[in-house]
Order: sequence, then C-alpha cells, then structure tokens
Amino acid sequence: MRTIYLDNNATTQVAPEVFEAMAPYFTEDYFNPSSMYEPAQKTAHAVAEARKTIAACLGAADPKEILFTSCATESNNTALMGTARGNPKRRHIITTAVEHPAVLEVCREMERGGYKVTYLQVDSSGNLDTGEFVRALSPDTLMVSVMHANNETGVIFPIEELSRIAKETDPSIIFHTDATQTVGKLPIHMARDLRYVDSLSFSGHKLHAPKGIGALYLRRGTRCRPFMIGGHQEEGRRAGTENVPYIVGLARAVQAALETREQDEARIGRLRDRLRTALETKIPSVQVNGRGAPRLPNTLNISCHYIEGEGMLYQLSAHGICASSGSACTSGSLEPSHVLRAMKVPFTAVHGSVRFSLSRYNTEEDIERVIGVFPQIVANLRKLSPYWDNQRNAPRAEAGIITAPGRS
Amino acid sequence: MGWEYSEKTKQLFMDAVQGKPGTHLGEIENPDGMGEHGSIACGDAMRFTFRVKRHATDPTKDVITEARYLTFGCTSAIASSEALCAIIEQGGYTPIEALKVRNSDIVEYLQGLPAQKIHCSVMGAEALEAAVFNWAQRRGVDLKSLGIDIHTKEEEEGRVVCKCFSLTEPYIKRKIRELNLRSIPEITNAIKAGGGCMSCHHVPGGLQDLLDEIWHGKPPQAPLEVIPFDARGAEGPDQPALSPYHFAKKVEKAVDEYIRPSLRMDGGDIEIVDIKGNLVYCRLDGACAGCMGASRTLKMMVERTLKDTVDETIRVIQV
Repeated sequence: MRTIYLDNNATTQVAPEVFEAMAPYFTEDYFNPSSMYEPAQKTAHAVAEARKTIAACLGAADPKEILFTSCATESNNTALMGTARGNPKRRHIITTAVEHPAVLEVCREMERGGYKVTYLQVDSSGNLDTGEFVRALSPDTLMVSVMHANNETGVIFPIEELSRIAKETDPSIIFHTDATQTVGKLPIHMARDLRYVDSLSFSGHKLHAPKGIGALYLRRGTRCRPFMIGGHQEEGRRAGTENVPYIVGLARAVQAALETREQDEARIGRLRDRLRTALETKIPSVQVNGRGAPRLPNTLNISCHYIEGEGMLYQLSAHGICASSGSACTSGSLEPSHVLRAMKVPFTAVHGSVRFSLSRYNTEEDIERVIGVFPQIVANLRKLSPYWDNQRNAPRAEAGIITAPGRS
Repeated sequence: MGWEYSEKTKQLFMDAVQGKPGTHLGEIENPDGMGEHGSIACGDAMRFTFRVKRHATDPTKDVITEARYLTFGCTSAIASSEALCAIIEQGGYTPIEALKVRNSDIVEYLQGLPAQKIHCSVMGAEALEAAVFNWAQRRGVDLKSLGIDIHTKEEEEGRVVCKCFSLTEPYIKRKIRELNLRSIPEITNAIKAGGGCMSCHHVPGGLQDLLDEIWHGKPPQAPLEVIPFDARGAEGPDQPALSPYHFAKKVEKAVDEYIRPSLRMDGGDIEIVDIKGNLVYCRLDGACAGCMGASRTLKMMVERTLKDTVDETIRVIQV
C-alpha cells in the first residue's frame, strides 16, 4: 500500500534534487570551511554560494543577513532572546496566543525573567484584531513577534501591515516573524513587502530539505546577541562548525520552491479545495477551522463534532494515510490544541480536529482516496459516541448542533 | 508520539468501529446500572450500562448478564471500553463482585497499554464503579453497610490540587494508594492529574508532597493559602482589566454562546448567580444538578471557557 502523506506542515520528504546536491559534501568535500588548506576552500565557497542563493530568494539586500542555524526553533530562540539581550532597556514583548511553542514558550520563559508579554487574541476565524495590536504597543515595547502563517490552521497574518504600524509607531521596536510555514509557500521579499520586518526564521524540513537545518534572516543593523557562543562562524553571531551539506541542501530547496511556487500553489490549492468541499458535503456536523480568514493553500484543518481525533488518525493510518490532529490524545500534554482553543472552537469540535497538509508531491488520487475513506471513518466513531444520535445521524441534542461561533 | 498499541488493543478497536458481532457498543434501554466518567472538555467520556438477572429475594445476588458502552475518546479509550464489557460479561459477576475488577484487569486483557494511556483503563474502572453505585441506589442496596467505601464527598469537600482537571486531594490520594502510583508521571498517566499546566507538581501541597506523604510518611506542608476575596485590595492583582459592567456582560455572553448550548444537550442548564471581581458564582440546573460529574463539568468546561474567552484570572465557584 502506497503511503499517502498529508502531514507536510509537520515535515516534508527531501526532494531528490536536494539530496543529490548534498551528497558530495558528505563523502568528497567534507572539509571544515574554516580550515586553511586548498580543499577546504571549496566547502567555504559552497557555504558562501548557499548564503547568496537564499538571500536572493528572500529578496534580502545582503547575504550577510542570512544566518544558518540548526532549526527554526533555534532561529526563534536566537531572535527573541538575542534581541532582548541586545536591547536591555526595554521589557515589553507583543506576540500572539497562537504562536508555535518555539516562540510561545520562549516568551513565557522571558516572562519569568521579568519581561512583560502581551498575547494578542484571535477571533473565531483565527484573525488578529489590528486595533488590539495598536493598543498593546507601548513606549516600553522591545519587540513584536507574530508568525507569518499558523502551522495548525494555515491562517496568514498581515505581517506587512503589522510591521509597518510598529515601525511607524516607534522605529526602535524590533519586528520578528516565524515564517516556518511560509518560506517556499508564499512570496517573501525582505527589501520590498517585508521591509519593516527585522528578523525572520524558517527551517529546511518544511520545504523538502532535511531536518536539522534552519536559518535566521537578521536585517543589517539589528542588535542581537548570539545565542550559541564558542566560535567565530557566521561572523560570531552563531558559533559551531557549518553544517555544509545541509546548508547546500537548504539553498537548493529554497531555490526549487521559488522556481515552482506559483504553479504548485495553484495546483495544491485546487486539491485542497476539492478535499474540503467533498468532506463538507459528505459529513454532517463538520467545520473548517480558519474559515473566513486568508489561509495557506496547502492546509485544511477540519473538525468533526462529537468524536476524538486520535481514533480518526488511527483508522486513516490503517488506510496508509498520514495526517495529524489537535486533540488532547495526540498532543502529548493531555491538553487540546492551544490554537483551536484560542479560536474558541467549541469543546465538541476541538478534540475532533484533523489537519491535512499537502505538498507538491500530492496527487489527485491521494485526495480521492481520502474522500473515499474518511466519511466512513467518521461514521464509525460516531456510532460509538455518547453524544451522537445514530437514528437521526445528528448530534443528540435538544438544543441542536453547537456550531462554531461566527461560522460563515 | 506513535501508536505503541498491542495487537489485542488494535483488534478490539477496529472490531468496535466496524461494528463486528460480539462487540459491545451501544446503550441498554432502562438499564439496571448506568455510570459515566470523563467529559467532552477533558477529551474522553464514557457511558457504561449493564443489565442484571434479578434475584427474586436478595438483590445482592443479582448477576450481570449484559454490558454496553458509548465512548468519546481515542483508540485505547474505545478498546478499554470493549475490554471492560467483555470482562464483565464473561465473569458472570454480581455487581458487588464486579467492583473487584480493576483498571489493571483491563490493561491485562488488552495485553498492555502504553504508559501515557493508562488513564483510558482507569476511565473504564471508574465508569463501572459509578454504574454499580447506581445499581445499588435503584435496587435499594446499602453498600456502606456492606463495608464498601463509596467516597461520595471527595469532590465537594476536598481541596483541588490539579486545577486543570479539577481533581481533589482525597481523590488523588485514594488513587495513589489504589493504583500504587510512585511518581508524578505515573499519576498523570493514570488519572491525568498534573497533565495540563503542570503547576501542581512541586508546590507545597502538590503532587510530590502527596507522594512523599503517602509513601515516605513525610508530614504534609501547608498548601499555599488562597487569599479570600474580601481580603484583596480593590487594585489587587486578580482584578479583571475590564470595568465590572463590561466584564459581567462578557461573562454572560460567553455563557450564552459557548457553555449553555452544550449543557442543554444533556438536558441541563446554567445560571450565573453573582460575579465579584474575578469570581463567577454559578448554579447548575435541570439534569445537570444531580449528576455525579456536575462539579467536574462546571470546573472543567465553564472555567476553562471563561478563562479562554473573558479573562485568564477567572475562578468559577459552584453555588
């Protein structure tokens, strides 16, 4: 049975051309780029070229604005903690309630260290309230960290607008964005659309490069203390021997994504929309989380009321289909998704959420297979649910279905 | 976190979802015993019903002949429910004998459960216990006089240790002893306590203190004192940021939109009695009022929803 992989917001397969580009740097050109001898020049050159490629793809003014890290989590840690230490006079941070833990947990840790953090709330579609953002800005605001798009729902935040507002309010406010879900999926141009953004993080394994490589765009002149100390690499801004093959792979993946982005986006979007409409038609009491908000074309987060996500994933897996859920049973923490809770998704639906996230390797057959099996999977579990009336094929309820607030 | 389920667990789950003959999904009409455990807010919930062959003169000699479940939950929660029903039907137990069925029997029947899923088997055992208590009530059997601890006051009278799952000190202590739990992860895996915000792990009166007290005879430290509302200054740290008028309106709106509809599904309702600062006083009406899970439902769902929608500092008090 062929595996149908629909969990590309978690990680992606390494593209063949990326793997190929990396290979020589494991076996032949394995030298430390910092070494003096002739063969090491080639590896140093490969790192420099990769930096140039990525800078060009992101529309950065200068290759030096790209730092290589081990992952997006490290990039986010560096951006937040490094900037805070570089600008010690201010103590207020603005972020959102729906950030990835790589930002959220760092903010909580900084709160314990005496920083004041404002967590911006979202509405039932997952949108931020710009008014609330404006009211949160204060003379003590050191930094704003707002993700470019949400990993669970795919909802895109207007970081161009928010970063402009922040800079127009006070140019010394630093604006960071976690773009892990958008590099390779949305157009990114640091010198134009995102010219008010000071730092941006992403990782390789969400765009068909391997796990274990990430990058941080850090605008020239941004004060940021290093997070990793112990070497002169990356001009002293991130110590540690350069991971040459992975850096080469990251550059190749970013380049490949840029080359095919527009046609991929359209095709993936069509597949996702086909999946959404088919599931909405075939399954009663479902809701699309993030409906009404601008969303990534590859993400569909759908909640089936009155059943629990893990049992759905298990049955999907028996059909060779890989997806993920925001239910408590799959979170490892006994708490359901903080993102869906922030969106006030009712409890009857939070635990029954399933996320399908596509990549350029998904086909129409993949989607038809899901459409073929998923409605039955939901029906199977509803037969067992104490909240479902099987005779009426509707929720057991005098008061009717609990719909999500604000469903359009 | 992958699926480390035994073949038996996987098979029971797949049989159940495919509705194969010999599975136990469903609900017995006019049952002799009915028990529930969990809530939709917690992520798993089970309704367990059984029928007995009634003894002509002595209800304690009733024998359970049929057991059924409806379960909202993950793969192992559903498999645990199947296992429970199979054990009960095969055993030919009286309801009182059935009380001896422990969550460990369910785990054994399933040929093991991953550590973080043990709470699924505990849910089965708790629903069974509730159903037997319910049978005793219906049949006029005084369990207390038979020497059975029915621990009814635990929820109302105990100090809440785990606020995320609303679990009280007497309940957690009883479970630590019954299930021989020796560490915080074991407690979390079995009854979920400490699995949310984790702030109850190492505070005075927290989970580690309960473990130390039970297994090492250490005297308990005094739990952190809750400052009574009246003692707080007007500008105290737990004052919500909104004006009292807007705060109350927001609470009311949240109750109308998110809380009341789900309670009505179970034939219940909720009334806001008063709001003082960040304390919201609520009363449950209708079918919810007498439910064993009432206080849990209140704390879990109402408080969490109000915290999420209105203000993080809100505390709900049942009236």
